[in-house]
Amino acid sequence: MKKYEDYIAEMNNRLKNYIPNKLNHGEESVFKPHDLFDMPDKEANEYKFKAIKYAFKLHYEKNSFYRKYCKEKNVTPDDIKSTDDFIKIPLLPDKFFKAYPSGNEFAMWLATIYTGDLPNITIKKNYGYDEIINKFNEAGLVISYSSGTSGRHTFIPRDLRTFNASEYAIAKSVIGMAYPIWEYEMNGYLFMPNPMKTNVFAGKVCKVFFDAIKSVEVALDREISAEVIQEAMKNSLKGRIIRYAVQRETKKLVNRVIEWLRKKEKERKKIALVGLPFLINFVIEELEERGEGFDFGENGAVLTGGGWKIYEGKRMPVKEFRGKAEKFLGIPPENCLDLYGMVEGNGWMVHCREGHYLHIPKSYYHVMVLDENGEEVGHGEKGRFAFLDGLAFSYPGFIISGDEVKMLEECPVCERNSQVLEPEVNRAKGEEMRGCAEEMRRVFAMDMGGGNV
Amino acid sequence: MFREWKEKEYIPKKQMVKLFIRGSLSLSKVLIKNFFRLKNLRKGEGINYTPPERVYDLPSYSQDMKFIKSDEKYLRPTLFCNPYSPEIIAMANKLGAFEKEPYEYANDVFEFVKRKVTLQIVPFWGVEETLRKGYGTCIHKISLFIALCRVAGIRARYKLYALSMIPQWYDTFISPDPLMVEWYDAMGNFLFHGEGEAYIDGKWIVGDVGPLPERQAATGIPITKFGEDSIGIWFEAIPGGIMRTESIPLGLATGMNLLLRISPATVAKINNNVLALDEKGRKILQEIGEEEYDKRVRKTYKMPKIELEKKSLIFE
Repeated sequence: MKKYEDYIAEMNNRLKNYIPNKLNHGEESVFKPHDLFDMPDKEANEYKFKAIKYAFKLHYEKNSFYRKYCKEKNVTPDDIKSTDDFIKIPLLPDKFFKAYPSGNEFAMWLATIYTGDLPNITIKKNYGYDEIINKFNEAGLVISYSSGTSGRHTFIPRDLRTFNASEYAIAKSVIGMAYPIWEYEMNGYLFMPNPMKTNVFAGKVCKVFFDAIKSVEVALDREISAEVIQEAMKNSLKGRIIRYAVQRETKKLVNRVIEWLRKKEKERKKIALVGLPFLINFVIEELEERGEGFDFGENGAVLTGGGWKIYEGKRMPVKEFRGKAEKFLGIPPENCLDLYGMVEGNGWMVHCREGHYLHIPKSYYHVMVLDENGEEVGHGEKGRFAFLDGLAFSYPGFIISGDEVKMLEECPVCERNSQVLEPEVNRAKGEEMRGCAEEMRRVFAMDMGGGNV
Repeated sequence: MFREWKEKEYIPKKQMVKLFIRGSLSLSKVLIKNFFRLKNLRKGEGINYTPPERVYDLPSYSQDMKFIKSDEKYLRPTLFCNPYSPEIIAMANKLGAFEKEPYEYANDVFEFVKRKVTLQIVPFWGVEETLRKGYGTCIHKISLFIALCRVAGIRARYKLYALSMIPQWYDTFISPDPLMVEWYDAMGNFLFHGEGEAYIDGKWIVGDVGPLPERQAATGIPITKFGEDSIGIWFEAIPGGIMRTESIPLGLATGMNLLLRISPATVAKINNNVLALDEKGRKILQEIGEEEYDKRVRKTYKMPKIELEKKSLIFE
């Protein structure tokens, strides 16, 4: 078996285009360590302190709204002298990134929350959200969004440097955790929108998948815009047509995937199914109905992300999903990993193979679990998931989310020395339902009322 | 008459017409699909519902009570909102109209309507009836707030919108009934909400009189004050859907009354859920105190204000 260092070196070689020539402190903290989830605390804290202090100073100096916010809270970069001071860094509620105006003011809102200078971008009077985003993206930015479940998307303006670092981080987190499964020569099926044809963050960030794996098929190979998602969730004629078309596509997709699985099993190829759990579940349910199954064993891996709502009102336990993957795909539970992340951040929490706890990256991402007073709760206690992101260079990535988690000091099962979240994450009281999987699930559900998909 | 309707904004705005049409079409579809189920749901066997009792005394009216009668926009009577009814005049005087400064009075009206009038889904009726009964929908409560402002010479109007959903609202208003779930899911976002706005010292001041503090506590959200918009604090309005209007539009009452006729048992279930939620919140507030609860919950809800910058954007 390949040594872990060689395994990561091979990944770095495949992803060399993501690594800038000159690294800032934030980039050092993700590109330099071999293992994001297992490293000496002293080394991790040094990386993390430099990365987060660098990011905080950057936003304080170059982002006028955030500077004003910090001044209101009486905090400056000089107050951050060690990781113990991280709690002083002012957090933005995730809802802040949903509170945007429409029309030309939306463009100004994006410009305002963006840290630093922008290139010249021309906006016409009658532009909608997608046109404005495309204009920013043509100018070299990566504006992405997610979770319009409640009727509003969360928009995040990344520059290319932030986006590349985020893509690299997701690849390193997943590939590192999946050691030794990953091989460049393996075959992948991406159950997400085509990264080249969408601005949905969960889809877009998967672009790195195409560089990390030689052959990738895409399940949703159509252009998916913010307006299409919004329309699809409504009961307008347009919405019905979109949902009807999508449902027809889904049936074809399931058949296509089963055919692909047959072929890959026959060829004894190594496969990875990556993406939205409810879509992978469609395939498994179809196999169940047909009485068909596969036996990929160690040649198969599943990586899911985006939330676990399978039908309206029904949340599938992750463990149950792993059981079904083993039964119908022959993929062992230790090869089925789930990932937790969000459009607002660049930290990727990944299940360990041994115990399926969500490990938190140690060197660039500082997680806090807060009570209703904004104070940190003890390990093992429930609270809101908040984070300081050392990789967000283009917007202040110091955010308190609406997710409720329990953090443990160490993994009860595996040997890695990173903090972990308990395997399943829920929404906190008073928060909107969200998650990219939920958003896409609603688009896919023809009769959105009762699991008639 | 049409001209008067138009002037008083009885004619629904385009956004609202769209919402009505969508709502009616999707409701019709759901009803046709569930024709037989509906019969059982209508009966609502085993559902006991008793409306809540009024928690305040009605002051008695006397002819010499002061009030402002005007035909000016935002001061005159509109649909279901007659500021000159004796009950309204008496309550306005009790709350300090013409004695307090306009802001102080409007704030007291806000606190009275928000805290004392219970939210329940009921047929549309006038403000005096809402005051007599002590309960009504958020629209009833806004109308009462507006009437109590107008009668004291403070201009007031409605701010109506469709909003995004939080799970606790979903659990209270949607999930009690499979038909509601189906309707909600078919429409995406159909929940309708509103706030009142009072014009004081050259500014429109918003107030969300809908939720009792108890219900806000039960759902883990801040207790909103006069001058504080609920949009952006604990939910978001659907983009482009905010309507500011002098009157409730025609048709809104018919739509609501139709829903009540179609499935009274559903509405009874919703109302029971609202009352249970109020009770739950009451316990929370008794335990930690309202001020402390609000202080705690606001720490995580603080939304920074931003002033939009153009940077190097070029607008054509």
